[in-house]
Amino acid sequence: MTSLTTPPALSVRGLTKRFGDRVVLEGFDLDVHAGEVVSLLGANGSGKSTTLRCLSGLTKFDAGTVTVGGRDVHSGEHAPEFAMIFQKIYLVSELSALENVCAGALGRLSFWQAWMPRAFPADVREEAMACLDRVGLADRAHDRAGRLSGGQQQRTAVARALCQRARVLLADEPVSALDPAAAEQVMRLLRSLAEDGMAVVTVLHQPDLARRHCDRIVGLTAGRITLDSARASVTDIEIDALYAPDYALEGGLA
Amino acid sequence: MSATLDSTPARRMPVPPRPRTAGSLVITAVVIAVVVGLHVVAVHETQFSLTELISGWHGMWSFLFGDPKTKTAGAFPPDLSWKIIGPALGQCVVTFSMGLLGTTCSIPFALGLALLGARTTSKNVVVYQIARGLMSFFRSVPAFVWGLIFVTAVGLGPFAGVLAIVAHNMGVMGKLWSEAMEEADQGPIEALRSAGASAAQTATHAVLPSVIPEFTSLFLYRVDVNVRDSLTLGVIGAGGIGFVLTNAIQNFQFNVMMTYVLMVMVMVIALDLLSAWLRGRIAR
Repeated sequence: MTSLTTPPALSVRGLTKRFGDRVVLEGFDLDVHAGEVVSLLGANGSGKSTTLRCLSGLTKFDAGTVTVGGRDVHSGEHAPEFAMIFQKIYLVSELSALENVCAGALGRLSFWQAWMPRAFPADVREEAMACLDRVGLADRAHDRAGRLSGGQQQRTAVARALCQRARVLLADEPVSALDPAAAEQVMRLLRSLAEDGMAVVTVLHQPDLARRHCDRIVGLTAGRITLDSARASVTDIEIDALYAPDYALEGGLA
Repeated sequence: MSATLDSTPARRMPVPPRPRTAGSLVITAVVIAVVVGLHVVAVHETQFSLTELISGWHGMWSFLFGDPKTKTAGAFPPDLSWKIIGPALGQCVVTFSMGLLGTTCSIPFALGLALLGARTTSKNVVVYQIARGLMSFFRSVPAFVWGLIFVTAVGLGPFAGVLAIVAHNMGVMGKLWSEAMEEADQGPIEALRSAGASAAQTATHAVLPSVIPEFTSLFLYRVDVNVRDSLTLGVIGAGGIGFVLTNAIQNFQFNVMMTYVLMVMVMVIALDLLSAWLRGRIAR
């Protein structure tokens, strides 16, 4: 782990999100340092995915500050420092793995520099090739993304995030659709990216994977942080509490 | 299963009657009355008459099998001599070419209208509505009517037919394509947005690549339909097999007409099968 004296790669204070009257996230604070893997755990609807979507600019937030690499990010703004990967992977299955990875660079290219998937400049294609190699898929560069296995597709999506040159990787349930072996491989990949200096925030539905691959576990209950501990000190009871049905709350919301 | 193993009958429960309100009965009655009423009006307006069909049977007979009094040939047997079939093959090529070229030339216009008229790629409401309006306009005027317009503009001949198909097809294919784009998976679009891609970049890097199979399939379907449309365009003077078929009828050469009809049938069925086969291969 990196020294805690360096400023965090990502710093979130008081992040709040409401959908109408419903508060889905309130007073969310989080610091993630380069080299750290933090997992977000919590029951369905506890605000995990919303947190990642607010950070990546896909969803606007209502209050709070997000600082990445020393710069404040406004609500709904896309910051190139954030890259996101998804449970459903979201590659363009008709395009090759390489073309999908190249798309990670779109944010820093003008429209005419890459007006179609076949037209990426040579330097971007070579950088994308290196990213594919980093995730162990250099030999599949020209395969259609739709032909790859689920695990290979998710690793291609990680390569796309690398090609974006992001500092913080936001992973929304990256392994929920994968078999255990592929899930293990993707989690190890995220771990090794952190060792290269990335900060990784991943929503997980498997506490067991969080314990084995993450440095810290942050638990959310109904939009509030109820757990934030180094993985070694998290107890089973604390984790079970995250998933305990809260009948009072259900009654209150309905 | 367990029910077949032991002899006790499976448990049953009476099915409750489906809830039916007085309102739904009234609605059914009104719908039936309206549908019947519309058909009564239609029978009256079209002077629909079975007696006329029966009393005119000898007209049908001489059309089908010839009239010895006037020495006109009937549709059967068709004239299958090479001096008829040979030139007609050339006319079939003209008809096919009109349909193909009309569809191909409408691609840029259809693509432009589709991109501006699909919610996934067009964020400006005014532009979106204008594009939808243009597509509706070009689509709602049939190719036949576009043909009448272009024959006046550029004169008789297949070129007027090509222009007519371009005009009608850009509306139809634009609409089909825009719907294909609206149904495309939103996931990759969101992924590229999260990577900082602009709206135009998500269109060319996520939306278009993912709908290319549907686009190709819809294009093949439109070639098929437009070749059939170019047959009717022949009737108004755009040339091709439709034109010589009309001439044969006007000259009471029903045996020649029948040859042309058979050739049209073969061409349309062959094209239909080919287009369906290609679309099937794309869908896989």
